[in-house]
Amino acid sequence: MELVVRKNELLRELQLFQGIVERKNTIPILANVLIEAKGDQMRMLATDLEVALRSHCAASVAKPGALTLPAKKLYEIVRALPDTDVRIEEDKNGVKVAADRFDSRMQTLPREDFPSLPESGTSPRTAFSREALRQMVAKTHFAITGEDTRFFLNGALLVLRATEMSLVATDGHRLALVTVPREGTADITGDDEVKVILPKKTLLELGKLVAEDDGDIQYERGENHLFFEAGSRVLISRMIDGQFPAYERVIPKGNDKDIEFDRERLTAAVKRVALLSNERSRAVKFEIDKGKVEVTSSSSEFGEAREQLPVDYTGGEMKISFNAQYVLDFLNVVETDIVSLSLKDEVSQAVMKPVAAQGYDYTYVIMPMRI
Amino acid sequence: MDAFYASVEQRDDPSLRGRPVAVGGSPEQRGVVAAASYEARAFGVRSAIPMSRALRLCPALAIVRPSFEKYRSISGRIFDLYRSVTPLVEPLSLDEAYLDVTDNAWGERLGVSVARRLKALIRESEGLTVSAGVAPNKFLAKIASGWDKPDGLTVIAPERVESFLQGLPVEALWGVGPVTSRRLAERGITTLMQVRTAGREALQQAVGSQADWLLQLAHGIDERPVTTHREPKSAGTERTFPRDLEDLDTMRTHVSAMAETASQWLDARGYVARTVTLKVRYGDFETVTRSHSDAPTRDAAAISARARLLLDRTEAHRRRVRLLGVSVHNLQAGTGAPVPGQSSLPFLQ
Repeated sequence: MELVVRKNELLRELQLFQGIVERKNTIPILANVLIEAKGDQMRMLATDLEVALRSHCAASVAKPGALTLPAKKLYEIVRALPDTDVRIEEDKNGVKVAADRFDSRMQTLPREDFPSLPESGTSPRTAFSREALRQMVAKTHFAITGEDTRFFLNGALLVLRATEMSLVATDGHRLALVTVPREGTADITGDDEVKVILPKKTLLELGKLVAEDDGDIQYERGENHLFFEAGSRVLISRMIDGQFPAYERVIPKGNDKDIEFDRERLTAAVKRVALLSNERSRAVKFEIDKGKVEVTSSSSEFGEAREQLPVDYTGGEMKISFNAQYVLDFLNVVETDIVSLSLKDEVSQAVMKPVAAQGYDYTYVIMPMRI
Repeated sequence: MDAFYASVEQRDDPSLRGRPVAVGGSPEQRGVVAAASYEARAFGVRSAIPMSRALRLCPALAIVRPSFEKYRSISGRIFDLYRSVTPLVEPLSLDEAYLDVTDNAWGERLGVSVARRLKALIRESEGLTVSAGVAPNKFLAKIASGWDKPDGLTVIAPERVESFLQGLPVEALWGVGPVTSRRLAERGITTLMQVRTAGREALQQAVGSQADWLLQLAHGIDERPVTTHREPKSAGTERTFPRDLEDLDTMRTHVSAMAETASQWLDARGYVARTVTLKVRYGDFETVTRSHSDAPTRDAAAISARARLLLDRTEAHRRRVRLLGVSVHNLQAGTGAPVPGQSSLPFLQ
């Protein structure tokens, strides 16, 4: 194999592969990226067996072929090169990576050892709006712990309906649900729903994939894998087996106390007050009364803090505590000026929502703390 | 519980009763003894010795493969019984626990009465015997429980504590294992009374920072409360291989797998660990451990990488290896740890 590729084009692709390759080092070949030179393309593929990324960039191919190189080292080398042509060439003695006056010879692993992955294109496709996916991923991914023994909670549930789609994530203490409209779909009719659980890593990589460029994302559900195609890149993901909890049931309907906050003021207050919260629990208390909410904290180690926020509220007095991080996770990803908090009592689920959000519906359910 | 696993097996299989029984792995596969019946103990069969050695000590030994699921469910029922008597139950293992019965659901005034009733209930409901120790603190209760096994009940009343201590060897002290006991013996300290008279400095030379603790125990003082939730101090797995390993890559694979297990354990409980320890037992039984401390982590890759580096610091590349173990220590709560007071969403299970 022998090819020449522009440094910047290669670098942009290799960067995306850094999150994909296996870092646990249990199977050496999974730390490598499979490179194929064919036609006028350099094709790349990497996987950790849970998630895979396929992509390609333009290249001058002198000798078609395939080989594997360590994704991380290759990326480091390419990143360190000046903006020039990079030559990747296999000969009897190994693989040469060269550019300008730089020359290197890298360890390779047999191409035959690289796992084979399913190809997309065998099942019907649907287009997702890139912006909608971006919204959904950004507003839910943090609610997955990724370390739960209930493995179905280690992913997010994608729900497709005829005219909308949702992404739901929960760690058992809080739940994030984003719903966006869908257009021009014929794959689902009536009240039907199609559900699939995406691994956390898929969500993170999907987030990166949709962050740049534009254009729709082509989605395809294969037998055991999901495909997300964005331009020249395809993210391939395993699905998580298991029953996602009945999330609709924990979204409260009867919360009758509604309070609206200026988002920036609430964010700043919670951040400041949380500085003196108990280090382990990170609890902040909302002391709610007519016309005001006092956010308070106390820790036996550091002391206590409070900050008053004026609000439109005429209901009864009430106190409720939350993990400050859970509240901030929500506040950090919404962009509306106003956010709402609706409550029932001190021990039941609270709901936070952005007020007048454009193009999406966002429901964030938090369980209070009992202090 | 007395010889817990072995007693359960004897209870469930009448043909094993009255015979020497060891629960554990197969001698051909280098299994070890997990529990030995009292009949087997008479031959010197103890838990943790290789099954092959147990068989040499006692050729008539009946070997039973463990059924941990069964033991766990029996243990669960017995612990439920304990908890119905007092909320202050501190499990030490599947078959051992401290109970603070100062206040108990039965309104018994004497600890010994609680112990007697519990023993009777367990015999009745599970057909198993337990040995109990009743004493003013955990240290003494633990010694008392081992005093008269099986089916024992030993009481150390406060006024008898002193005379009880008088007769104890240093090994009875909490935290004194073979190494510490040898260090103490080198300084002529073999009994509790000698611990008391040795002087703090001499003790410190022998056991370092443990000195004050041993001195307290030697006076029968132990203020540790019975705590229902004990923060774990370490976790890990080890494995004896059916055949000695010679290939370094194979060892690395095993080390990585054990690192992965440790990482999952940390994950599930929300801890991170600062120290990774590797244990290697060579073919000739010489055993070494290597530890490495760094920034706390629960990441499988990080733990694996550290354990593999530790493997390079052993002689595994030129000696056969019989056993490998990876454990994590110096635990602390990581992000994602269960937070006190945080309630959960009411998903219906």
